[in-house]
Amino acid sequence: MNCEKVRELIPLYLYGELAFDEEERLEEHLSACPACASERARCEKLTALLAQGEAVLSAELLSRCRRDLATALEKERRGRGLAARWRALWSKWLSAPPAWFRPVGAVALVALGFFGARLLPEDLAWPGRSAQAQPVVGRVRLIDTAPGGIVRVQYEEVRPRELRGSFEDERIRRLLLAAAMDPTDPGLRVESIDLLKDRTADAEVRRALIDALRSDDNPAVRLKAIEALRPYAHEPETRKALAQVLLADTHAGVRIAAVELLANVKEPDVAGAFQQLLHREEDQYIRQRTLKALDEMKASYGTF
Amino acid sequence: MTKQGATLAIEGGASLGARIDASMDEAAIIRAAQSGDAEAFERLVRSYDQQVLRLAMNLLRNPDDARDVYQETFLRVYRNLSSFRFDCSFSTWLYRIAANLCLDQLRKRRVRRTESSVVETEEGSVDRLETVPEARPQGDPQRAALNRELRTSIEAALNSLTPRERLVFELRHFQGMRLREIGEALGSSEEAAKNCLFRATQKMRQALGEFL
Repeated sequence: MNCEKVRELIPLYLYGELAFDEEERLEEHLSACPACASERARCEKLTALLAQGEAVLSAELLSRCRRDLATALEKERRGRGLAARWRALWSKWLSAPPAWFRPVGAVALVALGFFGARLLPEDLAWPGRSAQAQPVVGRVRLIDTAPGGIVRVQYEEVRPRELRGSFEDERIRRLLLAAAMDPTDPGLRVESIDLLKDRTADAEVRRALIDALRSDDNPAVRLKAIEALRPYAHEPETRKALAQVLLADTHAGVRIAAVELLANVKEPDVAGAFQQLLHREEDQYIRQRTLKALDEMKASYGTF
Repeated sequence: MTKQGATLAIEGGASLGARIDASMDEAAIIRAAQSGDAEAFERLVRSYDQQVLRLAMNLLRNPDDARDVYQETFLRVYRNLSSFRFDCSFSTWLYRIAANLCLDQLRKRRVRRTESSVVETEEGSVDRLETVPEARPQGDPQRAALNRELRTSIEAALNSLTPRERLVFELRHFQGMRLREIGEALGSSEEAAKNCLFRATQKMRQALGEFL
């Protein structure tokens, strides 16, 4: 590492933003080069001077901001509340309309249909249009033409349905397990895993959590799965999955959670995973935690 | 850490991710707020609002502008919380909103380019340099003059940065965010944030050379 490169890296070094190896090389250079060491001292002084550039945050300003925000939020909530009241009134009226509404409504609908048909342009007429509500189209499976200019479309319908019940209800359990793997919505997966975490005595639930830990592309979901698997960290299958995550997960937060959990599992295979991790891990915190865990296990840092 | 200033200063916040009471995990608070729990939303605001205000104040140096950014940030959070899907951390999402609002303000100012250190606020005229704490100049006029000169130079050095450089510098230097988090919050890479920080420190080293 030459002087020019070292001077470029000093600010990042002072912010603790260099990789372990880079930091080592830089420190080695600094201890041997007085010119670069004095540049480092100047940069440290600059950092100290800039601390004086931080604005004072007064308690009065903060309290005023909080007051104003509370007022603005109250206004927002009132706006939302008004809209909700209108919606409630409307749905109440639809579900239990007054007695006079039915005959009057029926006459109005007939009149609307009669005059509407006369007023609408003819080119809007659609052969085969039914009076039923249009279905929600999930996926079109087939399109075909038939004689007479008829087009045949085969599609899947999607209709939302609601199911209520306790976790003991097999259908609820199945749906939660399915939601934990729903590829479209990570929020839903986090929610499901959160509900499933109290049911980890069930082997199928544990398998779903391990799958999520290994393959979910969202780090929040993987973190939630680690949290749920905490009581089972000693089990070989869970341990294996945690070790894999430790060595392969790209998210430092997930690796930290895995290290924390595995640090309590004093097994030879865990020590092996920690030793492997030290070869590749760049995050300083994870490295330190791993070294501490190996010390606690009375295991060596390296593999021989 | 307590900052001493001309007015009653407030205590600095804890580090990112450690601000929510450990007894209730942040995701649970967010979910409760998403389902309309006003108390949970308030708790979220209280966990982060000092950081947001400090960010706005450091960048904009004007209490009125900082207050606007504060209010708009949390109103946007309130309106859009239902669309927060845990794809990133809540703090990253929040900082993204606040940072963009600050960037907009800074860019508008660059267009105006006629900034004086004195600004008009609802409380009357405020010298923005007075919002910067003074390093104990009492009783020593020479030292007070030197401090004044230093503060002016720091202010000038900060103003010489582009809005983006200033934001990255602020997030790293004063808010203590990692470059990876900054990249994520600003919708760019860690490398881009690193380059921005490097340029910012170079410019400031040049501008404040006489004090080093």
